[in-house]
Amino acid sequence: MMDAGQLDDAYTRLCHGLTEAGEQATPQVLARLVLLLMQQVDDAQKVGAAIDEALEGFRDGASLRR
Amino acid sequence: MERIFSEYFPYVRHPAVLPDTVVDGVDRVRHPVVIVGGGPTGLALALGLARHGVRPVVLEADDTVCTGSRAGAFTRRTIEIFQQLGIAEDVMATGLGWSQGWTWWRDQEVLRLQMPHDEDQQYPPAVSHLQNWIEHLMVEASAARDAADIRWQSSFDGIESTSDGAKVRVHSPAGDYTMQADHVVACDGGRSRVREALGLSLQGTRYAGRYVIIDVRMETADLPSGRRCWFDPASKPGGTLLMYKKPDGMVRFDYQLTDDEDEAVEMEPDRVFARVDAHLAMLGIARPWQPVWMTLYRASAMTLDSYRHGRVLFAGDAAHLVPIFGVRGMNSSIDDAHNLAWKLAWVVRGLAGESMLDSYSDERVYAARENLRFAMKSAEFMAPPSPPFRLMRDAVLSLAAKHPRLAQLANPRQHSAIPLVASPLNARAEGSEAFAAGPAPGEIVPECPLRFDGEHTWLTRLLGPHFTALWFGDADRAPRIDSALPFEMRCLHRSSDSSDNSDGITRLWRKYGADEGTLYLVRPDGHVLGRWRGVPAARLADEVHAALARVRSQTA
Repeated sequence: MMDAGQLDDAYTRLCHGLTEAGEQATPQVLARLVLLLMQQVDDAQKVGAAIDEALEGFRDGASLRR
Repeated sequence: MERIFSEYFPYVRHPAVLPDTVVDGVDRVRHPVVIVGGGPTGLALALGLARHGVRPVVLEADDTVCTGSRAGAFTRRTIEIFQQLGIAEDVMATGLGWSQGWTWWRDQEVLRLQMPHDEDQQYPPAVSHLQNWIEHLMVEASAARDAADIRWQSSFDGIESTSDGAKVRVHSPAGDYTMQADHVVACDGGRSRVREALGLSLQGTRYAGRYVIIDVRMETADLPSGRRCWFDPASKPGGTLLMYKKPDGMVRFDYQLTDDEDEAVEMEPDRVFARVDAHLAMLGIARPWQPVWMTLYRASAMTLDSYRHGRVLFAGDAAHLVPIFGVRGMNSSIDDAHNLAWKLAWVVRGLAGESMLDSYSDERVYAARENLRFAMKSAEFMAPPSPPFRLMRDAVLSLAAKHPRLAQLANPRQHSAIPLVASPLNARAEGSEAFAAGPAPGEIVPECPLRFDGEHTWLTRLLGPHFTALWFGDADRAPRIDSALPFEMRCLHRSSDSSDNSDGITRLWRKYGADEGTLYLVRPDGHVLGRWRGVPAARLADEVHAALARVRSQTA
């Protein structure tokens, strides 16, 4: 299991990588990342629950921005 | 962009005085150490040097302590250093200890920060205070024990380095003069003129994010002490805001300007006051308040590659600029001063060679890079430096209330002492792995209450201006150490009082993973140099001698 420091490092690495890729490419990179992680989780129930939670509050075209 | 509305406290103004030793524009006395800058770093270094038997000159451009409050959160490690400098009691008597932080996203609490704390500690994890009051206490302490020759209204006006020292030009309303010094320490802050004069520049990142910082005076008895942080609050949509209760009926606000906000407009006092009102209204706090001081802050994450340039040394903001989030700026500067004081004093006293000062630079550049690594993460979370950073940050906040592990990404990573695990000074103690607990070489000694010489005290109070051997065993079986460096042995033997821990010794032994015959060798700044367990007494003395000799050979 990743410890707090490792999670933090992975998060920071991703943010820097996305910044390098640029704002426009960010959704594509994130989509690829999600697909790779889905494969690695390899558990339909967990992946399904994560999809539901990620979509919470966005179902009617809402966004995080207010 | 700084603005002062009223004084934090009545400042003592000091006159410009031409020293008696100055004749025809030349100070006739050659000084072992001249410190440029009488802020917290320079004053802490001056008090530290005095403790090790060296009286420095401090050049301070102003006639009093700084008139803005600047640093506001002092960590436990800093208070432990203040204890060594003899000001901790006064700091604690007037400061507000705290150990908690609250983080909200919109109106939802997403993280409760509990800073490391336990019953063995002498001090709280953090203390809210005013930098200028701490400076005031340091100036008083210096005067009380004649620790330093503080020259007020005396500004640095140029330097010529030589192989055995430097010539410093001083500008003062009482008269300009030059002075010779064996060593010069630049503690003159982020815009260091010494650094500029030597043609050196800080390397690193300057962030675009801007923060308005304002201290206000108001009734605070019912407000909690600690760090309160809001992301995207109703009072400042899209921004972040920090709020700290300060001592003496004051509150600090620290809020981010968004990219489209014009700083000239946003720094109009009425505009800032309206922001404060909006935030207080959001919290349901209705009471009068008065502004004290405000400024505009931009985070930088930069350092020099080396803090030693011949006979000129750098410490504090003159050496590195650390983003304020995580309170690593002034706290790491005090650590610089504490690391440098004993080394420089011993060089001055002929106990160690000049190259001892390379270990100061190596250790504190390493610490600065560690501090920057943590502080940059905090700064990037508080003020995302690019749209993707912001996208990810907002996603974390939206999930944080339900996912505590993700919420930890919002943790401000508050300052603690950086372990110097790779220091070249550390003893090659093969036995160190034999320990199941306790600080490894390079780490700071953990606090523990105990009875020593019949007095109730704490472990960190057993340290002094010398290497300290903590001997876990009977005094008459302690190894006999013959050291050319200042050295003291502290015997922490178990007695009949230890069985129920009424003397604290049993807990101390457990905390340090000690058994009969264990020895920790501790540097004057509280870092462990080496530790031994299960080494026969006869060989142990050799090991300690070798470790101390290693310090001298590294530096001879």
